[in-house]
This record gives sequence, C-alpha cells and structure tokens, in this order.
Amino acid sequence: MASSSAAVVFTTKTPYVLPSQKFMIPLDWKRYQLSQLINKALSLAKPIPFDFLVRGSILCTNLGECRAENGITEEDTLEIEYFESVLPPQRMTTLPQEDWVSSISCRISQHFLTASYDGHIRLFDYAQKLVQDVPAYQAPVTSVCVVPSPTLTDESVLVASGSHDLTASLTRVSLVPDALPPFQTLTSLHLHTSPLSSITSDHTGSHLLTASWDHLIGFWDTTIPTRDEVAPTSDPTSSSDRKKRRKVASEADQGRAKRKAPTTVLKSHTARVSKAVFAPGSNQRAYSCGFDSTVRTWDVELGVCTDTITVPERPMLDLVVTPDGHTVLASSTDRTVSIFDLRSPSLASTTGTLMHPATPSCLVYPVANASETLSPPSTSSAPQVLTGAYDGIARLWDLRSLKSAVASVKAWDGSPKKILSVDWVGEVVGVAGEGGVEVWRVGQGDRVLTGIK
Amino acid sequence: MARAAQKKRKEPEQDEDSKSAFAEAVRLEMLSDEEKHEGKEGGDEESDEEVDEFPEINAESDSRSDDEGDVEEEGDEGEDDEGSSPSDSESDSISDIFPKSKDIISEVTGHPKRVYPEIEPEYDSDSSTEDDPNRVGNIPSHWYDDLPHVGYDVNGKRVLRPAKGDELDKFLATVEDPTSWTSAWDKNTQMDKPLSPEELDIIRRLQAGENPDGGYDPYGPTVEWFTGKGKEEVMPLSAAPEPKRRWLPSKWEKQKIMKIVRAIRRGRIVGSKPKTAGDKPQLYDIWNEPPSNQPPPLPAPKPALPTHVESYNPPEEYLPTDAERKVWENTDLEDRKHDHLPQKYSSLRLVPAYDLFIKQRFNRQLDLYLAPRIQRTRLNIDPNSLIPNLPSPSSLRPFPNYCSLKFTHGNARVRCISTSPDGAWVVSGDDAGNVNLWEVNVGREISKWCFDGKIGAVEWCPRTDTSYFVVGTEDKLHFIVPPNLPSVILHATQSALAPAALPPATESPIKWSSSPGQEDGVILTILLPAVSGLTKQIAWHRKGDYLATVSNRESQGSVWIHQVSRRHSQAPFKKIKGAVQLVLFHPIKPHFFVATQRYVRLYNLAEQKLIKTLMPGIKWISSMDIHPSGDHVIVGGYDKKLCWFDLELNDKPYKILR
Repeated sequence: MASSSAAVVFTTKTPYVLPSQKFMIPLDWKRYQLSQLINKALSLAKPIPFDFLVRGSILCTNLGECRAENGITEEDTLEIEYFESVLPPQRMTTLPQEDWVSSISCRISQHFLTASYDGHIRLFDYAQKLVQDVPAYQAPVTSVCVVPSPTLTDESVLVASGSHDLTASLTRVSLVPDALPPFQTLTSLHLHTSPLSSITSDHTGSHLLTASWDHLIGFWDTTIPTRDEVAPTSDPTSSSDRKKRRKVASEADQGRAKRKAPTTVLKSHTARVSKAVFAPGSNQRAYSCGFDSTVRTWDVELGVCTDTITVPERPMLDLVVTPDGHTVLASSTDRTVSIFDLRSPSLASTTGTLMHPATPSCLVYPVANASETLSPPSTSSAPQVLTGAYDGIARLWDLRSLKSAVASVKAWDGSPKKILSVDWVGEVVGVAGEGGVEVWRVGQGDRVLTGIK
Repeated sequence: MARAAQKKRKEPEQDEDSKSAFAEAVRLEMLSDEEKHEGKEGGDEESDEEVDEFPEINAESDSRSDDEGDVEEEGDEGEDDEGSSPSDSESDSISDIFPKSKDIISEVTGHPKRVYPEIEPEYDSDSSTEDDPNRVGNIPSHWYDDLPHVGYDVNGKRVLRPAKGDELDKFLATVEDPTSWTSAWDKNTQMDKPLSPEELDIIRRLQAGENPDGGYDPYGPTVEWFTGKGKEEVMPLSAAPEPKRRWLPSKWEKQKIMKIVRAIRRGRIVGSKPKTAGDKPQLYDIWNEPPSNQPPPLPAPKPALPTHVESYNPPEEYLPTDAERKVWENTDLEDRKHDHLPQKYSSLRLVPAYDLFIKQRFNRQLDLYLAPRIQRTRLNIDPNSLIPNLPSPSSLRPFPNYCSLKFTHGNARVRCISTSPDGAWVVSGDDAGNVNLWEVNVGREISKWCFDGKIGAVEWCPRTDTSYFVVGTEDKLHFIVPPNLPSVILHATQSALAPAALPPATESPIKWSSSPGQEDGVILTILLPAVSGLTKQIAWHRKGDYLATVSNRESQGSVWIHQVSRRHSQAPFKKIKGAVQLVLFHPIKPHFFVATQRYVRLYNLAEQKLIKTLMPGIKWISSMDIHPSGDHVIVGGYDKKLCWFDLELNDKPYKILR
C-alpha cells in the first residue's frame, strides 16, 4: 500500500486556495486526476483545469515517475504547487496578405500594426478591417514598433519603422480611417549603411534603438528635428545635378521629413546585429544580440558595451527580456532558444535551452495589456514564452518545464510557411510571416475575455 | 494277406525244387527269402536266397551278419508270423516300410552282405492301397483354414476337422501322454500321429548327423572292387576309340580365350600391370632433396639428465626422512617433484628392478609424441588498429547539419547561384531568364530582373567596396547593381562600371555599353561576338578587376578575359585542344587554370606561358576548385571521381576519391 501511493501537500499562488492537508495519492495519477481532485476539494462551480509544479518543473508524467525523476524517497511528502492551466491557443482570424509580413505589433489596443515586404505599414482593427495603409518605403519594411507617446491622442499613434533602404522613420498614423492626413512621416533616421534588422522603443517612448546589418546599433531620441541633421548623400556625377538638387531641396524643405541623426552609435558587435531592446523599465540599459553569437549589455548613455555573453557558434536571431529583467531569451539559427540568467556571475553559460525542430525566428514575452506603464505586469506568475519558427509552428513554452512546449499551433494550413514575427498582448497573439497575419487567442482558465468579437 | 503271400511263395518254391538241380549245376540260388525262411524252420540255417546279378556292395558289417542276421531272421520270422496273423494293416505297413535286413555271408562272393526280405507284390504290399482318410492330396493346408472340414474321403464325404484341443489340453497331454512327445502333426488329417520306433530312430540318426540307415557300418573294411588284385578292369567300359581332342589344345578354352582377347583388343577389358618380379624397390633419395624453406621442426624435448636423486648410491642427505616420505606420499602424483624416492644401495648388484620403468618410458614416449613439431605464429592483429584514424567531427566543424531554409521560386530550373561577399544576399538565375535577388536570412526574394534566353552563369564581384554582380546570358554579360545600397558603395560601383569619362574605345569585336547614373539594375552590358553561345561560367579574379568567362561554342572564342577598369576584353588562347569546361584564377599568384574535358592546364598569365598540365584521369571534368592557400586543387568529373592535386607535387593526383 505504501509503495503505490504517496503523501502530497498542495500549495498555490492562485486565488483558489486549498486548506492544507495531506493527501495520499496513488502513484499512477496524472495531471488530469490531480486536477479533478483539486476541483472536488474546492467544490468549484465550474471546473477549472489546473497544472502542477513539482520542485519547479511541470508535472507531465504520473506521480510515480515524477518522484523517481526528482529522486524523492518514499517517506518524503511531495509538495506540489498548482496553478491554472493555460489552454491551447485558439485561432481567431486570418488576415491573408499579398506579401510577406515581416513584423507585427499588438500594442495598440483593438488594433494590429503590420509591416510588410512590399514597403507598406498597415493598421488593422479587431474586425479585420484595414484601417490605414501607409506606403512608407520603396524597399521592404523589416521592423515596426509603436512608440508610446503621451502627447498624441487616441486618434493617432506614433509608429517607428525600419526598412531595407537603410533608413528608419517615425510616422504618425491616424486611427480614424478617413482622417486627413492618414499618416505623416515626421522624420527619417539615417545612420546605417546596411538594411535595418530591428527598431524598438523604450517604455516611455522617448528613445529608440535601431539594429542593423552593418554591426551598428543606433540610439535615438524621439524629438522631431526641425532641420536636417544628416546631410543628404551628394551625387558626385555632375555639378549640374547638384545644383538642381539644391534647388529642389530648398523648395520642398518645409514639407519634407527631416533627416535625423542618432544620439549615440553603439559599436561593438562584429557581425550583423539582429535585435536591440531596452531593459524593461529603463532607457539607460539595453540588450542586443547578433550573428557573432553574442548577447551584449549596453550602457546607452555612455555608449559602451558593459557585458558580453558569448555562446560559440550560435548566431542569434531574436532577443527577449523578461519583465523582471533577470532572464534573457535568445533564439538562434541552430534551432535552439537559449535562456541566460543575467544575475549569474558567469555570463557565458546558458541556464536552459528550448529545442526546436526548425529555426526559431522570433520570440515574445506576454505583456498584460496594451498600455503598459512603468510597473511590471501583475499577471499570473507563469513565465511563458511564445516562439515562432520557420516551419510555421508557434510554440508556447512554460519556462518551468523546458523539455517540451506546452502547446504548439500551426499557422496557415498547407505547406509550412515561415513565421517571421509574433506579438502577445493580454490574450491576443499576433503571428506574422510568409502567409500573412494570424490572430490567436491564448486564454487562461475562464477569465473574462476582452477583445475579439 | 501275408499268409497268402507265403502260400504263393511256397508254390513257386515247389516249382523251383525241380529247377534246383539246374541251379546247383549253375551254382545259382534261385530260392526266395521265404523259402529260405522255411528252410530255416526246417533246420536249414544258411541258404543263399538272393540271386546276385551284380555283386552288391555291402559295406554293412559282414562280421556281425552271422550272429545278428540269425537273430534278426528269427526275430523277423517271429514278427512276421505273429504280426501278420492278426492282419494288422498298420503293423504290416510299418514292417513293410522298415523291413528288417539280415547280414549273411554271400555264397557267391564269400563276403558278408545284407539281405532284405522279398517284397510280395500283393494287393496290399504298398501303402498306396491303404485307406486314405483325406484324399485331397498335396495341397496347402491353409486352404481349409476357415472351413469346418479338412478334405474329402474317397466317397466324396467331407472329412471333418478333428476337435482341436485348447492349450491346457495340449499341456496336459505333454504331461500325461508319453506318446505326445513322439508324435508328429499330420497335415492331411490335421491330427497328431504317433511315430513308430523305426521312424524315431531314423529321426534321431538324422538329427545326430549319422547315416539314417540303422544297419550301416561306417567302419567296414575297404573292399577294393575295382582296384583289388584280380579285380582290375580287363575290358574297357566303352569300346569307343579315344578322341583326338584329348591330345590337342582345348577348343573350348581357345574360344574362351579369344573372347577375352577380343574384349582386350576392343578395349573393354584393360589389363593390369603385371608385377614384374625383378622390379626395383622404390627408393626416395631423401638427402638429395632440396632443403625446404619451412623452418626446421622444433627439436624434441630433452629428457632431464639424471642427478644425485636418481643415483643408486646417493649421499645420505638425499635420502628422505619419515616426515618427508609421508609428505611425498600425501602429495598428488602430478604435484610430486620426483616420482620416486631416493634409495641407497651399497653396490650395483643389490639394486632391484626399477618398478617405474615402464611408466617412465611411457611418459617419455608421450612427451615425444605430443611435442609440438612446428611453431605456428599467430597473427596478433589488434582489430582496433585496422580502423583508420579519422578525425573527430568536432574538429571538422563547422559543417552543414540540417536544412534550415528553403527558397521557393518559380517553375523554371535554377542553374546558377552566387552569394554576395558579405553573405547577406543570394542571386539566382534560371532557365526562363529571371535573375532573382534573395535575402538569405529569411528566404525572401527582394528583386527580380528578366532577360531573354537562359541564364548561364551568375557571379558576384568579390570587391567589398563595390556591390554588383555579373549575369551571363547568350552572347551577353550584364553587370547589375542591387537595390538599397549605401551611397558610398553605390557611387563606387557606378564609377567602376559606368564612369563618367570613358576610356578611348578600342577596335574590338567586344562592345561595352554602360548606362551611367543607374542606381538599380543593369548598369553595364558586354556584348560578346554573336557566335559565342551561352556563357557557361564566370570566374572573378580576387581583386575584382579581371573577369573570365567561358562560353559554349567554338574553341577559339570560348574563353574571354575582361578587365573592368580598362573596359577591355581579350581572348587569351588562340587555339585550345578540347572543349573548355571551367576556368579559375589562382587566389595568390597570377596563374590561370583552364579545365578542358580531360586535362587541367595551368598558365602563367603574366608570362603567357603554359606551366603545367594536370592529368586527373577523369573522363569528363565537371567541376574544379582551388583552396584559398593556392596549393591544392580538387577536380571532379561526371564519372563520380574526385581528384585532389597538390600543386607542389607532380601532375598526378595526390588522392582520388570515388
């Protein structure tokens, strides 16, 4: 009898607290049976699926195997923490696009912001209607992000975007469909000599970071310049052209967006920089990852790289920082996502890796709601990450169990289409890639949903 | 019946009395046995009753004829008279079957002879007139096995099977009835028939292997009937003249021999080699044989030389004490050092016979027999040493592990691709004339240019300060600038390819036409002579100034070297043997590799001389590459061979991989 059941004590951080008592549970019980037990013990009105954590790792197998894996003897009491299960994501809508979508942002409430390879930035609302179409560039737009700006009203947003044509720009896009002007390019950012790979803004919207293929990271502020800070490229072909240029320039001076120069140029990477992000809640520290297999920490004010995590032979594609600022996840071309602990003294080692069958191109950490302020989100303590890969499958990982993804969803039925970008705000997940845009809902228990109609 | 026979015999007796005078004169006895018997009754004892035409060989004891014959006669007479009176047919028949003989002295020869009683040819004189209970005759008795009768009597009535007793009766009969042991099973009547003493006597004699005749005397004297004195054959048995064939070689033998001879002649019989008597014995000259290359056999193990222990008079210290003796006795035979204990005798004549002699000799023979004759060297090959020492994969990294990206494009076949020097862009050309520019990281087509005809080759210029690539189509080379270039690089490219000030145009069949100010797309076109054909390959010099192209067609105009800075093209070879497949620039030296179908020739462009001809031995060369160090060249062909040349060594490949 003793060998076929174990003594278990349940703890939780959810509102559903069980009075502390010991249970004798048979060893062949799995998550489902334990969840039923909790529900019965709590006598909940509506059954809630729970997931269980044993010593920091999620219970996948039955109790007996879990106990054996962790090396718990028969006399010890198992402490199991339970939390609400994350339901697998459900597809809500598909917004097929003509061209590949390189970037998506869900930060505007009730709207999706997409950047496409045809040079357009599009704004959709939750009713799948195209609100605005901004032909921002001639060349493909690689990255787009929302610049939170307290000055602008609810009717327009400030959008920063970077493109293959070596420039980035700040554009004001109006949320009202028929407003005039629908968009306005406020300024264009010139620094890089190679296509931009990413552009991000800090939480206040005061500064921007651009990362590019020319190993440089530009640190910008978001003030609109009144005159050109960067001279236009002069054509040494003929003097007549030059004269003509100058004339043209003076005429269209007022209407044209001014060229802006960076505040600081961060130069340390030895290969293409794929992503640069601000540290959560700060605009002084930044992290970047690149194809030279490093993750670098920067002091932006001084423009100096303070720390480097070098992982050999792992060109990094994307980077995400947890809101508490302690963990950094970087996806790389060798089909892994490495987890780095920034607090550990030896920054050269990873604390965990998530194995993928195809190249994981993008990562996102869930954000509670669109208007995120300085305080860190007070969501559930579940550290979850969504990764999108080149095989068209987006995987939801719980960082406590690194063995396999909690859920995986395939975007765009048919042949695998690469996912190029994901964004997760609240319960809405936007997946962008070769097949267009897909919107998914990731729920938690029976929380009241806000959003998709 | 016998009496009647006797009476009948008596009558001729009376007749013969009259004849007796004649008989006496001829000295022939004509009396029958009965008369003889009667004569005996009357007191006549000896009478010669038998008429001998031929003197009988009576090997029977003539000596005992006197006594026994009389006794027998009387016995016979008595039996006859008495046995015949009740006229028992059986006894008569038995006596008829086994008549008793008499041994008398023959009056003719004077020798004893055996005489049997006369057979009266009466009706009942033989057993053929007896009543046969079963007249079926000599048939297999199993024919009547399942029938209740065993046959038929003379009247045709069935003769029923006599009751067959069970095993118990048979057993009891053996106990109680003495005649059951001397009865035989009569198949005809299916009954046991008791045997008469005469029959039993005959059976006994047969079983003993003796002559079944009771009166036979095997020890009788030899009577030399034909060879005795006075008995030699005077007259020949046959008057026929002796045949000549008794003195001639045998006809039949000759026939037999001729049959064999004919068989030998035809080859059906092969004669064996006759063993000649004076044949030399086969000798083997062992000392003249050439010495063999094999190692001589190992020498036999030597027996140990005797020591003091084996001596018959060893010093006292060698003699074992009691304790040592006990220890020696307790140890096993194999463990003992010596198989004997030392003994001391004062003189040799006191030494007794050695009891272990035979055993020791036997052991020595065993040692010699089991000694190894040849030493075989075992091949001690460590199997691990046969495995070649390949480098570990970790030292060879990085190498491709998995397919990470696939680029999907249109339906046409893509024949050529080239990556940019910074590795961010890939250009591909297909058979439909489309040239696509791809972003490598994502696999997305960025730009596309369309040309007429197939794209033969695409190569990116290796210069890092400019960015452009060359597309080779039919008779044309297009220089294309990719979009989104930083201005510095764009200007450098434009000045390299489409400078404002053109150098003076030279008279040449090659025309360079450039479009200045082009920011994206074809900036320069080289028009090759019209018969050149599709450009098969484009090879850049490392500095990005010289460009070599290989075209399909004729031998002379197939290789062109173009110089971008001077906008000048030339065909360096007047005549090339074989169709040129590939060309390559040496990474360091001013050398030029030209690969035709079978050979690779190395030219020095500065001196315009042929340096070397590499002979890979490949039937059709398809690909070639040179190591960045400039020392090693690998050449591959369509026949699945890859040759690795070391340019410092000779012309033959260093290694050929299949």
